[in-house]
Amino acid sequence: MRKNNMILLVEDNPDDEALTLRALKKNNILNEVVVARDGAEALDFLFGAGAHAGRDLALMPEVILLDINLPKINGLEVLERIRANERTRLLPVVILTTSNEERDKIKSYTLGANSFIRKPVDFQQFSEAIRQLGVYWLVLNQSPPVVRG
Amino acid sequence: MGPESPGGTSQSGRRYWKLLVVTLGVTCAVGAGLYQLAYLYVLNEAERNIQALLLAHKGTHRYIQEVMHPAFYKLKAAGMVAEKFYSPEILSSSFIVRNEHKAYNEERRAAGLGEVYYKMAALNPRNPVNKADKLEEKLIRMFNENRAIKDYREVVRIDGKDYLYVALPFLVNQERCMKCHGDRGDAPLGLQALYSGQGGFNEKVGDIRAIESIRAPMEHQYYLLYIFAASSFSGLLVLAGLLLFNTRLREMVRARTQELEQEVIERRKAEEEVRKVNEVLEERVEERTAQIAAANKELDSFAYSVSHDLRAPLRGIDGFSQALLEDYGERLDETAKDYLGRVRAGCLRMGHLIDDMLQLSRLSRGEIHRQEVDLSTMAGEIAEELQRATPQRRVVFEITPGITVSGDAILLRAVLDNLLGNAWKFTAKTEEARITFGHQEENGKEVLFVRDNGAGFDMAYADKLFGAFQRLHSSQEFEGTGIGLATVQRIIHRHGGGIRAEGAVGQGATFYFSVC
Repeated sequence: MRKNNMILLVEDNPDDEALTLRALKKNNILNEVVVARDGAEALDFLFGAGAHAGRDLALMPEVILLDINLPKINGLEVLERIRANERTRLLPVVILTTSNEERDKIKSYTLGANSFIRKPVDFQQFSEAIRQLGVYWLVLNQSPPVVRG
Repeated sequence: MGPESPGGTSQSGRRYWKLLVVTLGVTCAVGAGLYQLAYLYVLNEAERNIQALLLAHKGTHRYIQEVMHPAFYKLKAAGMVAEKFYSPEILSSSFIVRNEHKAYNEERRAAGLGEVYYKMAALNPRNPVNKADKLEEKLIRMFNENRAIKDYREVVRIDGKDYLYVALPFLVNQERCMKCHGDRGDAPLGLQALYSGQGGFNEKVGDIRAIESIRAPMEHQYYLLYIFAASSFSGLLVLAGLLLFNTRLREMVRARTQELEQEVIERRKAEEEVRKVNEVLEERVEERTAQIAAANKELDSFAYSVSHDLRAPLRGIDGFSQALLEDYGERLDETAKDYLGRVRAGCLRMGHLIDDMLQLSRLSRGEIHRQEVDLSTMAGEIAEELQRATPQRRVVFEITPGITVSGDAILLRAVLDNLLGNAWKFTAKTEEARITFGHQEENGKEVLFVRDNGAGFDMAYADKLFGAFQRLHSSQEFEGTGIGLATVQRIIHRHGGGIRAEGAVGQGATFYFSVC
């Protein structure tokens, strides 16, 4: 597995965070995982603002796992802002959510999500989903070149 | 009109009678006027006839006096006539004309016409025959006194018959007349010899010596008058009748028009009311629609949050139970592991429940997109999927081909999924399982059915089958959330159709449904 190819996990539920991290670990995905607990924090990290001011913006996540239901700024708005910014607009974004509402799917893909995955209740299924996700986005997929500002 | 109508009728009846009387009065007055005019005309005609006769007589008088007398005196002067000769048959114009008129009357009688009385009436005639009667005397004086009067006329009644009497002033005495009518001594000897006394003498120049008096029967004129009067009066009557009829007709038309106008007004009023009621209803519908839309929106966000917020903790419970088993499994005994297994099974079951519930709630929302749907093909696909998922089972599917309905393909797919899935599930313990999808006619309507020969159910609970979360079997016996049939019923109802179930314990079940 490649190292230092960071994953940005945007997740407000600590249980889901722990389970996602556990699933990643169980599947030997050892990449660095940056966790943002709401939409605003995720955007701060991506744009080097707030608590993340001065961060080296050349380091961008290999993939962003984005929940939709988030405090402050929700996932769909975060996605919109990512796609609207020159630095981040090419970053792969995987919507990882509990919802299976049709309108969420439509909105997500319309705003430029690369993938939409519903978190299963069954942890074994969830773990399997995380594994396949890791293999696909971190190994198979060729990430876009980093845009330097 | 309603209650006003009787009063209106009697009023119009009174008006009608009044009009009838007025019309008849006017008709009679006009008729009388016309009669009077006609009478005058007839009188004038009669007078003109008489006048013609008088003028003819006057012409004869003049001829005798102006032509014959000078000729006679010339012959006398030439000594061709004896000095004493006088003969009224030759020389007296009044004698000649009187006798000429006598002959004229004889001719009239022969022609079947009434006689015309004629007289040269004088105050002092030579021949007493010509003596004026009282009226004539009066007229002679009148004509003498007032020279402007040129004639006199009167209708007189004799023996029940009307006559037109006309008098004209006769010749005014001239100088030449004095030879015979002046002093008796100056008159020709023949004349003196013939007439004794002063009759016809002592006249004065300038006096009106006599009048021509004439009286003709008016039978013929009256005959004309009656014909004219009768025809004109009957014409007038017809005209009046027409006028009355026309008035009556107009009255009727007016009344009917008024009725119609009233009707139109009432209808407009009713329409206005209907419009108002409609407006109110529309407002209410809009209000209710807005309320329903709001409720739907709330339901929507409720379902959305249920889907998110209820499932997330479940995933936590399941995930950490699994983590416990994985990380601390060797420190747990079998009972602890069994409990954890039950925790996890509960989580999964609740996850399914939530998903089914969401599906059910989603069916209440959204629109139905109708199209032709081939249910037979759809059932075939579902059967294949079921068979593929559990290849070890042996189930015979009997699907009648070509069953199509108009409905929402996705929702109808959910119906067949549930019904065929149920049939599949409840025949799990049946040998030679058989599942049928077909159709039949009931009361002229097409009814579709899904039949199986599986576990069946007690008809006593038939009405509970379609309630949400209602189950007739334990989860151990047959798994399920109890939402499937509720979902099916809701879809069928949303299509305007109906569904019912028949069955018996151990003898299978049949679900009949229709889609409008």
